[in-house]
Amino acid sequence: MVEQESTAKFAERARSAQTVVVEAKDLAAVFEYAADLTLQQGGQSIAAPGIKGKELAHLSKLCQAKKIELLTGDLRQKADMISTGLTGADWGIAETGTLVVDSKSEDIRLAGMLCDTHVAFLKKSRIVPDAGTIEKELSRMMKTSHGYTAFISGASRTADIERVLTIGVHGPRELHVLILGEDKQ
Amino acid sequence: MIKTPGDVKTYKKDLKRALSNTFLGATLDAFASAYPASRANAFSGIDFEALAAEIARAKDESIPNLEKLLEEFTVQAQKAGAVVHFARTAFEANSIIASIAEENGVRRIVKGKSMTAEETFLNDHLERSGYEVTETDLGEWIIQMRGEGPSHMVMPAIHLSRREVAELFTKVTGQAQDPDDIGAMVRVARSELRRKFLEADMGISGANFAIAQNGAIGLVTNEGNGRLVTTLPRVHVALVGVDKLVPDVKSAMRILTALPRNATGQLISTYVTWITGAVECKSAPGSRKSMHIVFLDNGRLALAKDPVFSQALRCIRCGACANVCPIYKLVGGHNYGHVYIGAIGLVLTYFYHGRQNARAIVRNCLNCRACKSVCAAGIDLPRLIKEVYGAILEVEGEKPVKNVLLEKTLGNRRLFHFLLRSGSHLQAPVAEGRFLRHLPLIFSEEHQFRRLPALAKVPLRDKWEKINPVTQNPRYKVAFFGGCLTDFVYPEQGQALLDACRDLGVRFEYPMEQTCCGLPALMMGEKETARRVAVQNIKAVDPAEFDYVLTLCASCGSHLKEYVNLLSDEPLLGVKAAQLKDKVIDFSSFMTKVLKIDPSQFLAGGGKTAYHAPCHLCRGQGVREEPRELLAIAGLEYVQTKDEEVCCGFGGSFSLDFPEISAELLKRKLDNVAASGTGALVTDCPGCVLQLKGGMENRGGAIEVKHIAEIVAERRK
Ligand code: SF4
Ligand code: SF4
Repeated sequence: MVEQESTAKFAERARSAQTVVVEAKDLAAVFEYAADLTLQQGGQSIAAPGIKGKELAHLSKLCQAKKIELLTGDLRQKADMISTGLTGADWGIAETGTLVVDSKSEDIRLAGMLCDTHVAFLKKSRIVPDAGTIEKELSRMMKTSHGYTAFISGASRTADIERVLTIGVHGPRELHVLILGEDKQ
Repeated sequence: MIKTPGDVKTYKKDLKRALSNTFLGATLDAFASAYPASRANAFSGIDFEALAAEIARAKDESIPNLEKLLEEFTVQAQKAGAVVHFARTAFEANSIIASIAEENGVRRIVKGKSMTAEETFLNDHLERSGYEVTETDLGEWIIQMRGEGPSHMVMPAIHLSRREVAELFTKVTGQAQDPDDIGAMVRVARSELRRKFLEADMGISGANFAIAQNGAIGLVTNEGNGRLVTTLPRVHVALVGVDKLVPDVKSAMRILTALPRNATGQLISTYVTWITGAVECKSAPGSRKSMHIVFLDNGRLALAKDPVFSQALRCIRCGACANVCPIYKLVGGHNYGHVYIGAIGLVLTYFYHGRQNARAIVRNCLNCRACKSVCAAGIDLPRLIKEVYGAILEVEGEKPVKNVLLEKTLGNRRLFHFLLRSGSHLQAPVAEGRFLRHLPLIFSEEHQFRRLPALAKVPLRDKWEKINPVTQNPRYKVAFFGGCLTDFVYPEQGQALLDACRDLGVRFEYPMEQTCCGLPALMMGEKETARRVAVQNIKAVDPAEFDYVLTLCASCGSHLKEYVNLLSDEPLLGVKAAQLKDKVIDFSSFMTKVLKIDPSQFLAGGGKTAYHAPCHLCRGQGVREEPRELLAIAGLEYVQTKDEEVCCGFGGSFSLDFPEISAELLKRKLDNVAASGTGALVTDCPGCVLQLKGGMENRGGAIEVKHIAEIVAERRK
C-alpha cells in the first residue's frame, strides 16, 4: 500500500517538474524505450556506462539493430556526442519527485550531465516517502570516500532571464523516469 | 567593483533613479505578486513556523560549536582525500585559492554560483593574478560580463530585461540575438559555456552545506552548472563560510526542506549534489580530483559569540527576506544591500564589508517585519537592522540632529509632553481644520505627498477624567496605553474606545505617567533612550494591577510586547516586562475575544469597508482574523483589497527620512483601496491612519479613513 502511494506521489511530483514518468515491465522494455526515444528525437547515441554483462550485450544488440551508437565509457572524450544518457537510480523520493543516483563513477555523472535527454530507471521498491526515510542510507552513500551523490528532480532549468522558465540550460533538456515493477517470482 | 554610497544624499539619488526605472518596478512587482502564492503552495502540508523554529534551534546549537564542527569535518574530509584550508580573512581565502591554482598549473577557471565568493571578491583577485575566470550560472555569467554584482542572492540578474541580455549576447557572439527568443539566448549560453567547462583546469564552487559527520559538502542548483564545475576540471575548490557547517545529514535535510521552497517556491531545486572528498576524475593524475575546501571565517567566529548578532549566522541564504520586502520591491537589490541583499544584507554588510557600505542602506528599513515573518531561520531581522544602525551611530559618535533632540526630549516625559502641548499652540497659524496648511520649513518638496495632521487642541490625557465614565462593578480593569499619536493628535480615537465599550463592564484607567512607547527611539537606533522610556512606562503601568493593557496603536502594542528584549538583563523589570507582554491587547481582539460582542449590540446595514492590516498588528502581534470579524459583527461589509498586509509606507520617522519611498508605497496602497470601490478604509493604528488619511486628503479625500475603533463606536446601538 505504502509503496503504491509513494509511487503515485513520486510520479505526480516528478511530473510537476516536467519529468516524464512511465512504468516499464523490465530492463528490456527500458532499453526499447530509450532507443525509440533517441531515434524519435533525432539522436544518434546512447551512453550507458552503468550497464554491464548480459544486459549490456542485449542493449548492444538492440542499438546495433537500430543503428544507434552505444557509448559505454570514457565519456569525457565523447562530450559532444551523447544524445541519450541511460542510468539507473538508487532511490526515489516521493515527496519531491527526486531521484537519488550514486554517481561515484565519473562516467555515470557525465552520462546524466552532458546528454540531451536523460533516461533513468528506478525500481518501484526503492521509492520512499521522504528523504528522512533513507537518512541512514544517504549517510552511508556520502560517507564512502570519494562519494558523489546526486539528487535529480527534473531537467536542467533556469529562470535567470526575466524569470522565464527555460529548460535545458546546462544539463539535459528532458528527464524520463522509468519505474520498474518488481519481478514477483 | 560594486559601489554602495556611504552618504545618504548620494544614496537617495540612486533610490530616485531606481524608482523611475519602470522595467525594474514592473519586474519586481510581478515577482512579489507571484511569490507568496507559489511559496504557500510549496509549503502546503508543512508547518513553516515549526520548521523555521526547528532550523533556528539547530543552528543555535551549532553556532557556539563551529570550531568543533570544523575539526570533525576536517578529519572526515581529509580521510576522503580532500585538503581542508582555513582562511581568517577574505584576502586570505582569495590568496589560498590563487596558490592552489598556481600549484596545479591552472589557467582557466569555471565557477559555480557562490555568495561567499562574491563576499571575498574572488573573481577580481584571480583575474588580477592572471587567470581566466568564467561564471557558469547563467545569471552570474550575465552580470559578470556586465561588470555588476548580483541584485538578488538567488536570482542575480533579476534587474535586467531580455533586451539588455540580448544586447550583451549579441556583443559576445557577434551575432544578432532576438530579445524575445529567450530559449535561443539560453542555448547560446549553453554552447558558449559548455566549451568553457571542457577547457577549464579548475572548478570553483560554493557550498550550501558542509556536513561534519562525514566530510561531505552539499550544493543546491537548478541549472546543473554546479555538477559540471565539480566534475569536468581536474581541480575542485569549494569556498565555504564556516556558518555552513552542520553536524549531520539530518540537519542538512531539514534545511533543504526549507531552502528551495522559501527561495523560489520550488519543492526542491533540480540538482542537489553531495560530494565527499577527492572524487574520480579521469583527467587528473591517478584519476583522482585534486579537491580543496577553503573555509572562510571573515569575522564569523567572532560573530558567533555576539549575544545579539550571532543569530545572523543562522541564515541559509534563501533570499526570501528580499522577496517580501516592500522596499526591495521598489528599488531592487543594487540599492538594497551591498554584496548580501535584502534584510540580511542590511545586517551582514556592516560585518563583512564595513561601516561605509552599511551606513546609508541600513537606515532604509520600515520595520514592517515582512522579512522576519518569512525567514527560514527565524532571524529577528528588523531588530538586528536597528541594532546595526545604533552601532554605527555609536561608533561614529556624530548623531543626526533629530537623534540628539529625541534623546534630550523623549527621555524626560514632562519636557516631552510640555513640548507637544506648546506645539499645539504654536501651530495655530498654520493649522487648517485637522491638517496643517503648510508643512513646517524643515520639510522639503518631497514631503508633500500627504498632508500632516495638526496636533489636537486638547490632548486625550487632559480631558480623560472628564470623558471616562464611572463603571460600577466592572468585569474588567483595563489600563489604556495611549501612545503619542492617540494622545496628542487623535484623542477622538480614545473617545471612540470609550464609546465602543460603553456599558460593557469595562473600567478603563489612563496612567498619567505613561509616555511614548519608545519605538521611535529604537527606529532611530537610540537603544538607550528606548530603554529609558520602557522603564518609565513599566513603572507607570504596573501590569499586575490590570486585567489587560489595551492600546489602539499597533506599533505601541507590538513594541510594548518587546520590552522583554530591552529589559531582559534587568532582574525585576524583566519580570514586569514579561507580565506586560501577556496583558497587552489590541482593540479588535479585546472586543471579539474578551468582551465577546455580538451583532445585536450594533446597527445593521453598514457600508462597504476596506481594511489595512498594520504591520505591527498582523505580523508584529499575529492578529489577523479579529479585525475582519469585528467589522462583520459591527454590521459592516468588509471588502478585501490587494496587498492588504503590505506596509502603507509610514514607518514612523522613516517617512520623513525617505519620503520618496514612503510616497510610492502609500500611492500603491491607496490605488488598491480605490480599486475596491469602498466608501471607507479602516485600520487599527494611528500611525497608519496618519499616513493613509494624509494621502487620501491629498487626493481629494474620496474615501474616509478611520481607526477601526471609530467606525465600531459609530455602529453601537
Ligand atoms: S522590516 Fe520591512 S522594510 Fe525592513 S528589511 Fe524587513 S521587509 Fe524590508
Ligand atoms: S535572513 Fe532568513 S529569509 Fe533572509 S536569506 Fe537568510 S534565511 Fe533566508
